[in-house]
Order: sequence, then C-alpha cells, then structure tokens
Amino acid sequence: ETNKSVEPPQPTAGMQALKSARFLQVKNDAINYPEGIKSPNPALNLGGKSKGRQYDKDFLLQFQDVFKEKPSMDWDSKLKETVGDGSESARPQSAR
Amino acid sequence: TNSSANSDIRTVFDDPDNFNVKHPLMNHWTLWFTKPPSGKGDNWNELLKEVISFDSVEEFWGIYNNITPTSELALKSDYHLFKKGVRPEWEDVQNKHGGKWAFQFKEKKSINIDALWLHVMLAAIGENLEDEDDNEVMGVVVNVRRGFYRIGLWTRTVGKALPGDQGKGRSTDQGKEVLLKIGKRFKQSLQLKESEAVEFSGHTDSAHSGSTRAKAKFVA
Repeated sequence: ETNKSVEPPQPTAGMQALKSARFLQVKNDAINYPEGIKSPNPALNLGGKSKGRQYDKDFLLQFQDVFKEKPSMDWDSKLKETVGDGSESARPQSAR
Repeated sequence: TNSSANSDIRTVFDDPDNFNVKHPLMNHWTLWFTKPPSGKGDNWNELLKEVISFDSVEEFWGIYNNITPTSELALKSDYHLFKKGVRPEWEDVQNKHGGKWAFQFKEKKSINIDALWLHVMLAAIGENLEDEDDNEVMGVVVNVRRGFYRIGLWTRTVGKALPGDQGKGRSTDQGKEVLLKIGKRFKQSLQLKESEAVEFSGHTDSAHSGSTRAKAKFVA
C-alpha cells in the first residue's frame, strides 16, 4: 500500500478556518451568537481582573457537535505514534 | 453602529467551514499520554509522549473529537492535560514542591469515565478550578488501572510558600485555604456526592512512602 501514488490530501475548510481565524477579544468584541447558543457565563468574565478567557462548562459543551475537524492532516499517524491504536496492547475488555 | 461591525465576526457556530474568530484560552495546554509498559523494561521517557498543544476552545474540540476515549484505553494508560512547559512528572521543577488532589472511582462499570474526564478538562481549560492569582493548577490526569480509574489535579505547592516566592508568598493558612478551595471546585467538576472525599497529598510524600499509601494531608 506504500507504493500507491495518490494526490496529497488537502486540508479541509474547517482546518483552514481554524488556522486563519483570529482570537476573539472576549471583552471587546461584542458578538451575537446565533439564536439558541448561550454566551460564555458573563458572571465569569465580568468579574474583576479576568481577561475574559474563562468559560463555563455549558458554554464549552456547545462546541462538541459543531467542531470535529482533525487537528492536522497527519493526525492519524501522529495519534498512532503517541496514543497508539490499542492493537498492540490488551484492551480492558480483552484482559486475560 | 455595532451591528455593522459585528457582521464581520463569524464564529464556528455561524459557519464551521468559514469562521474567522476563535475563542482563546487563558493558558496554552499540552496533552500527554502514558503508554502501558510492554513488560520489556521500557523506560518512562519512552512511555510518556507529548501528543499536542493548543490554546483555543475550537482546537480542544478538534482534538477531543478525534482521540481515543479513556474508556477504550488499555490498562496502565494515562492522559495528562498540563499547562504548556510543565512535564507531568514529580521531578519537573514546577511540580517538585507540589502535590495533587485525587479521587479513585472503584466501580469502573457504573461510572461514565469519558464524561468525568471531559468535565475535568473543561473545568481546567475554562479556568474554573482556580482564581486568576492562585497560580496553583499545573494540570489534570486520568489513570486507567485494573481495579479503578483515578482522576487527579496537580498543584504547584502543598500550601507552603516556595523558596522563589519571597514577598508574594502566602501564609500557611492562606495557602491551605487556596488548596481547599481548589479541592472543592475539583470535587464539583467531578459531580461527587458530599460524602465522597477527594484527598490531597504532596508528591514527595507519595514518592517517599514506598509501598505504603501516602497519608492524605487534606480532604475536601
């Protein structure tokens, strides 16, 4: 399978958007989230010296089904090198 | 007007393929993984792997949605989510005077470890575990073991002022108070019952205790 010559895969639109997006200035950018999306808990961000980079769990969980892009094109091989695919060691279910 | 300026801002909720702003985290975080030992005398350095670093909410979810869930890891695996620049080891200069809050889930089948680990990571990256000047949280960790899952939160100190902290050090009472507050928030993030205690111990206590269990210094 290593001999196959294939076009190098292109990054997806979502990957490119993540790369080029600028950081929101949470305190200065007045954002209107689409209807049904909760803003970051204002109590967390308006209090005291916080730089506006605190987010509550309910705000963060809203991203779970919205952003699913792999971090990079070589993610699968990187994952295999670090976390492994589970095949080389016994999974909990198959412990002797 | 505000509304015309706002129309240039597109979040991932407006358009997941074409957003132009992302949500910054307060800190840069690194995810690490400990591979289970192969039993062939591998050394710790080969088992502890840096997976990836990130500093936005969107990046976090891209990683989380594309990585092996804790429930599918082999026994003796760990995930560590630490502030960038801190190795998830006792020996790291930033950890060697510190300790950890921890809780063991012994009923592995009756809990949802994936949800628990996710909620602890969200509390860490969302900065809900400590207040801005506390400067205590180093990272969070989940251990997959035969008889239990354990989730831990590593702190920079054990409540005592450190040698380099002269002047801005906290008194021992204040230090203990900060650690207890963090312990309570950790417990909340795990949605534990009031009767389920999270325990704090210093890393050096654990290191020197050998086979006997380190005595918990604090309980929350």
